[in-house]
Amino acid sequence: MNTEAGRQAKFNQLAESYGTDLYRYAMWICGNDALAKDLVQETFLRAWKAMDSLKDFKAAKSWLITILRREYARTFERKVPKFTDVDTVVIPEDSELEPDDRTEIRQLRQSILTLAPKYREPLMMQVVLGYSCQEISVALDISKSAVMTQLFRAREQLKVKLQKDGVTGNVHELF
Amino acid sequence: MSMNFSEFILKLGAEPRNRDPEFLSARQSSPEFENAALEAGLFEDKLERAILISAPDGLLDEIKAIGLRPEPPARRTKWWPMAMAASVLIAVGAVGITWKTSKSWTSVEEYVVSHYRHDGEKFTELADGTSATDIQTVLSELNVEAAPALADIVGLIKYCPTPDGKGVHMILNTQTGPVTVIYMPETDVVDREMLAFDGLEAILVDMKKGSAAIIGPNEQRVTSLYAIVQDSILPLPGSS
Repeated sequence: MNTEAGRQAKFNQLAESYGTDLYRYAMWICGNDALAKDLVQETFLRAWKAMDSLKDFKAAKSWLITILRREYARTFERKVPKFTDVDTVVIPEDSELEPDDRTEIRQLRQSILTLAPKYREPLMMQVVLGYSCQEISVALDISKSAVMTQLFRAREQLKVKLQKDGVTGNVHELF
Repeated sequence: MSMNFSEFILKLGAEPRNRDPEFLSARQSSPEFENAALEAGLFEDKLERAILISAPDGLLDEIKAIGLRPEPPARRTKWWPMAMAASVLIAVGAVGITWKTSKSWTSVEEYVVSHYRHDGEKFTELADGTSATDIQTVLSELNVEAAPALADIVGLIKYCPTPDGKGVHMILNTQTGPVTVIYMPETDVVDREMLAFDGLEAILVDMKKGSAAIIGPNEQRVTSLYAIVQDSILPLPGSS
């Protein structure tokens, strides 16, 4: 396998391994499907140019996320449309759910988009990217205890919102 | 040391899929802990189902295709990871000044900001009027012409590099002050996209041929020129 073919193969592996998760993360962070796709494509474009600097494939996910987060930060210089209806983005397998479950999922998605970024971002790092609390604290440059508090509050807020819609769960408060 | 219920609930809320031995031991310590953990697990199942959406059809193929193109274009805008050499001529009757530069921009937005930072204020100060002949001469090389509504207020016009080749940098002397227009004859933009940088505002304009960026001190100033810029730089008759 020549160098160019090897580089393409490595890049394809990155795309297959992380493309979907990057899109999910971008979608939930920016709430806009078109912007999420742009962010992902720009991220991989930058990754393609910097492929030679990626020595350890195990570090690829955090590397790609760092690029994506930087790209997203730059969009604040551009006044882009804010949240889109996430249901317009989604999702064939929902048709397999019961109507009540579909309603609940839809309400949950809408609620997630209303979470403050400081709660939404660590939650997406954990659920979408599989980051541990320690990894999230490094990525966001905050303490691990702050990460745990934000994750806890994110879930509690979502439960409160679902309860208001008559769905589910006990809500716990910590003082 | 055993965990109290409040500590357990915090850990559960932060890491519902926690497999830490101390956590698992606390979970098994009483029905109250176990029930809380079961409930958290059910909620987490719903959360994952809601969050783990599918990627759009074709996205992964588009990503892989990035590596197959020699110079990947953008999706809606042309994003050009290129290095180019460009020459710039200041068309105000002086001896031509050649400026060769090698630049790389990864987005048209980055280009607009970078280009203005490099030249914007300098050329604004030079904008003391130029003849209609000079304007049309410069634009004709790009196969476009300026309608009188625009030509009458051009204070300076010069070629400049753009992500996709030669463009022009113009200063418009409006009644409320100078405004910069960067015309990019081969570049696509998101129409009416706004940029904010260094205390300035810019609006991107999708044109009949190419695109433009209008840069000024505030949103009102640049958006008020949107229509005139869009309608006043036109392809030369008979050109493609």
